[in-house]
Amino acid sequence: MTISRKEFLRRTALFAAGSVLPLGTVSASSGLLRSDEITILYTNDTHARLDPFPKNAKEFAGLGGIARRASLIKRIRDLQKNVLLLDAGDVFHGSTWFEVYGGSVDFKLMTEMNYDAMAIGNHEFDRGPDGFADAAGHAGFPFLAANYIVRNTPMAPFVQRQIVKEFDGFKMGIFGLGIEFDGVIDRSLTGSIRAADPIRNAAQITGYLKNSLQCDYIICLSHLGYHYSDARVDDYDIAHSVDDIDLIIGGHTHTFLDTPTVVQKESGKRVYITQMGHGGVRLGRIDLNNLGVTSDYNLHAQYYTIGEEE
Amino acid sequence: MLNRLYQLLLIFLIFSGCSILKPADSLENPASLNPDSEIAALLNAYRPGVDAVMDKPIAVVKDTLRFDKPESALGNMAADALRFRAALELRKFVHLGIIGEGSFKTYLIPGTLTLGDVYEFMPYENHLVILQLKGDQVIELIDQVASVGGAPVSGARFRIDADNRARGLLVNAEVVDLNKEYLVATSSWAANGGDQFPALWNAAGRIDLDLSVKDLYVDFFQGRSELYNETDGRIR
Repeated sequence: MTISRKEFLRRTALFAAGSVLPLGTVSASSGLLRSDEITILYTNDTHARLDPFPKNAKEFAGLGGIARRASLIKRIRDLQKNVLLLDAGDVFHGSTWFEVYGGSVDFKLMTEMNYDAMAIGNHEFDRGPDGFADAAGHAGFPFLAANYIVRNTPMAPFVQRQIVKEFDGFKMGIFGLGIEFDGVIDRSLTGSIRAADPIRNAAQITGYLKNSLQCDYIICLSHLGYHYSDARVDDYDIAHSVDDIDLIIGGHTHTFLDTPTVVQKESGKRVYITQMGHGGVRLGRIDLNNLGVTSDYNLHAQYYTIGEEE
Repeated sequence: MLNRLYQLLLIFLIFSGCSILKPADSLENPASLNPDSEIAALLNAYRPGVDAVMDKPIAVVKDTLRFDKPESALGNMAADALRFRAALELRKFVHLGIIGEGSFKTYLIPGTLTLGDVYEFMPYENHLVILQLKGDQVIELIDQVASVGGAPVSGARFRIDADNRARGLLVNAEVVDLNKEYLVATSSWAANGGDQFPALWNAAGRIDLDLSVKDLYVDFFQGRSELYNETDGRIR
C-alpha cells in the first residue's frame, strides 16, 4: 500500500506531536540547502527602528538595525532552501524615520529583503487608511488580516486574509489577525474599516486553509497580544479556541519569549506561540525538520540578538 | 580557484565551529555580521530626508543627564515641563506635575540636543492631561511615588523614610489641605493607567489638551537652551 505524500506528512505530523524535541536540545547539523526543512524567520513591532537603538538608549543601546538583520537573513538564506520571512505588525511609529517617511522606507527595505507577508498592527493606522495606503504602495508583500473588513477603503488593494506558500509539496497556510479598535486605535484613524471577531474569523479561515486548500501547516500572524489578565482576546485564546493552528507568531505586547510557549490542546495537538519583543532587537527562527523524510518531524526554535556584543 | 578554496574553508569553519549545540548556531555570531551593504546603501539614500528635519538643534546638554532615584535633574525637568506648560495653557496655577520615567526611552548625553534626540527621548504620541485631585488623593499619590523610591514630580517636596513612606510633604511650600482641589499635570498615558500611579486613575475632573507631550518637551528644552545636572532636593 502506498500513501500520498500529503497523507504521509499528516501522519508524520501527528506522530511528531508527541515527540517534539525539547527546545534547545542537541540535534545534528544539516547539510546545505535542505529541501526537507522549512525555516521560518520572523520579527514583530520593529517600530521604525531602521537604525540600531541609539547609544544613549535606556534599553538595547546599539542593538538592532535593519541592515544587520538583512545581513543575517541573507546568510540563513544561503544555507537553507526553504525560508519564510514574516512580520507580525507595527512597523509604523517609534523613530524619526517614521516621522519623515511614514513607513514607506521600512516597506521598501522589507521588500528588498523578501518578506513574504506581514500582519497589520494598530500603529499601521497612525496616519489613517490613506497614510497606510501611501506606504503600502511601496511594499512587495501582502498584509494579512482575516478579521479586518477593508472593502471599498484605501487599504483594500494591500490586504488579504491569507496566503499559501508551497515548499516541495508541503503547503504552509498563513493568515493574519488584527487587534480590535476600541480602546486601542482612535476612531478618527480607522475610517470605514471594521474589526470583526478574531476567534470566529480565525476558525473560519483555518478551516478553509486546512480543508479547502489542503494546507499541511498553518501559521497565524497575530497582532492581538501575547496574554492578558482581562477579557481581551489574546494569542492564548486563539491557541485554545481555534483548531488546526500550528504556530502563532505574535506581536503588540512587545513580549520577549526566549522559547515559544506551548499550548497543549485536548486533542493532543500542540500550538506554539512566539514573539520577539520589539525594535528589531531579535530575529526569531523556527526550523521544521525532517518533513516527510523520516518518521519524525521536529520543531526547533531559537532567536538571534541583532548586534549583540560577545 | 583560491577564492573557491576560501569559500569552502569558510563553509567548513561555519559548520564545524559552532554546530555542536544547535543547528542554527552554525551561523557565525550575528554580532560579527556587517550590515548588509545593499540595505545600508538604500537606507543611507533616504537618510538626508530624516537629517534635514531631525538635526535641528534644540538645546545644549552640558552634563550627562540620567533618570535617578529619589530625584534627578532630568526627572525634575520632565515633571516641571508638564506643570509649567499646563499652567501656561490653562492660564491658571497648576499645583503638581508627574510622569513615570518609563515614558522616556533615552538619557541625555553632553553635546547638541537635536529635535531627533528629543523625539527619541519621548517617542510616544501622548498628550497633556490635567487632573483634579482632592488633598487626600494627592497624599496617596505622593505615597505611591515614595513607595517606588521616587519618581519625576514637580511642585512637591518630601523625604522618603526607611519604610519607603513620604514624610514632611509640602505642596507648593504648604501642607496638603485634605479638602482642597489640586490640579495635577501629567501625560495621557499616565492618566489612562499607563504608569504606576493608581492615585491618578480616579480623578474628580480631567482636562485633555490637544498638545503633544513630545512637542511640549521640544519647547521646554528649547526654552532652557542649556541643560545641567542640578537637582534641588525636592525628594530626599
